[in-house]
Amino acid sequence: MTVDLVASIQAGDVDAFEALYRQHSAKIYTLASRMAGSPEDGEDLLQEIFLQAYRKIGSFKGDSALGTWLYRLALNHCLDYVRSRRAKMNKLTDTLDAETSFEPAARRDTPIARMDLERAVERLPEGCREAFVLHDVEGFDHKEVADLLGIAEGTSKSQVFKARLKLRGFLGKR
Amino acid sequence: MHPNETTLNEYADGSLGAAERAGVEQHLAACASCRQLVDDLRDILRATGELEPLDAPVRAWPRLERAIRMEREHATRVTAGPHSGDAVSDPADAGSYRTYATWLAAAAALVLAAVVGMRYTPVRRAEAPAVAPAGATASATAGGAAESIETELRQAEAHYENAIKGLEAIATTERSELDPRTAATLQKNLAVIDQAISESRAAVRSEPASEPAQQSLIEGFKAKIGLLQDTVALINEMRKGNEAGAARIVSGLKQKGN
Repeated sequence: MTVDLVASIQAGDVDAFEALYRQHSAKIYTLASRMAGSPEDGEDLLQEIFLQAYRKIGSFKGDSALGTWLYRLALNHCLDYVRSRRAKMNKLTDTLDAETSFEPAARRDTPIARMDLERAVERLPEGCREAFVLHDVEGFDHKEVADLLGIAEGTSKSQVFKARLKLRGFLGKR
Repeated sequence: MHPNETTLNEYADGSLGAAERAGVEQHLAACASCRQLVDDLRDILRATGELEPLDAPVRAWPRLERAIRMEREHATRVTAGPHSGDAVSDPADAGSYRTYATWLAAAAALVLAAVVGMRYTPVRRAEAPAVAPAGATASATAGGAAESIETELRQAEAHYENAIKGLEAIATTERSELDPRTAATLQKNLAVIDQAISESRAAVRSEPASEPAQQSLIEGFKAKIGLLQDTVALINEMRKGNEAGAARIVSGLKQKGN
């Protein structure tokens, strides 16, 4: 099935590529939106990732599942985006102590609504959002997160913990 | 003494060793505030584990499809040589597209290519404190950065405006393909977006360093480009006679209008 789909895409069959897109777009869009912290940027990243997949499908050798290959491509693209955005931000904040401040919401003891959590994740500061998404949402361990983001394992832990505490404030849990 | 937040996070994760865990549990039995923190962390972890995938916007596939077809056509023309003409030369497309439909797709894809990869990232207010620390270096850096942000914003604005002009030209010329009700809805939505852009632009002019104003201006541009791209995609699907494709786009437009 995968072999047929890949062969069809490589032969230029756009319908076959659409089938691939329909199967995986939600997962890729979700990863991109959460990593970028914005649905709009997530949509741009989705476009770029699938364009890249279309161009690179010839290099897919079938060593892994097609979905795994695509996810890895998407993850690398998101990480490139995050790195380049961070570099841009660092230019501005290099000499400033940019500890993020926020006003915690009033305490609420109701269950956390899914959309509230999505919005709160978007509000997380750069750095701790990516570590949180990779660890708590995507399920990578701290060693893997550290390798992916080019940071120390201890930094991955502290960023994830910082993100959870900020979410606690955003969600009115304190 | 309270355990530190790292220890409580590791406790909530279940990654503490047995001895440390026992110590934390002993503390939690007597400390309501730490107990509350651990309960909250567990709530957040539980809710995070239950997050579901997000649906990609409906317009994303038609945009991507246009870009792919454009790329294939470009590759085919390059292979065929410089005098291969403007007609569709890809055998897979022959007969299914008329020349003007291809032109429409190509033009929209060009605008897409111009916009994708070019993102303006406004600095979040939280990351750039309103009051910079004392010191000439920090002030000079912040001042230089503010100028650089303004320059970037102006460049982004010009870029988006060019893209919008290109799409508007296509959408205006070809709008007669749409049924009057859909055309009126699109027009109404465009007017709302134009109004928002105009207000955001005024806000940026009066307060150039305001991150919310910058963000709202860029989002206005993006919304307009998105709507114009949907319009072009819809016209194209109708010309191809692809009712399912057109219905998908109209349904996306309705969702956005709600």
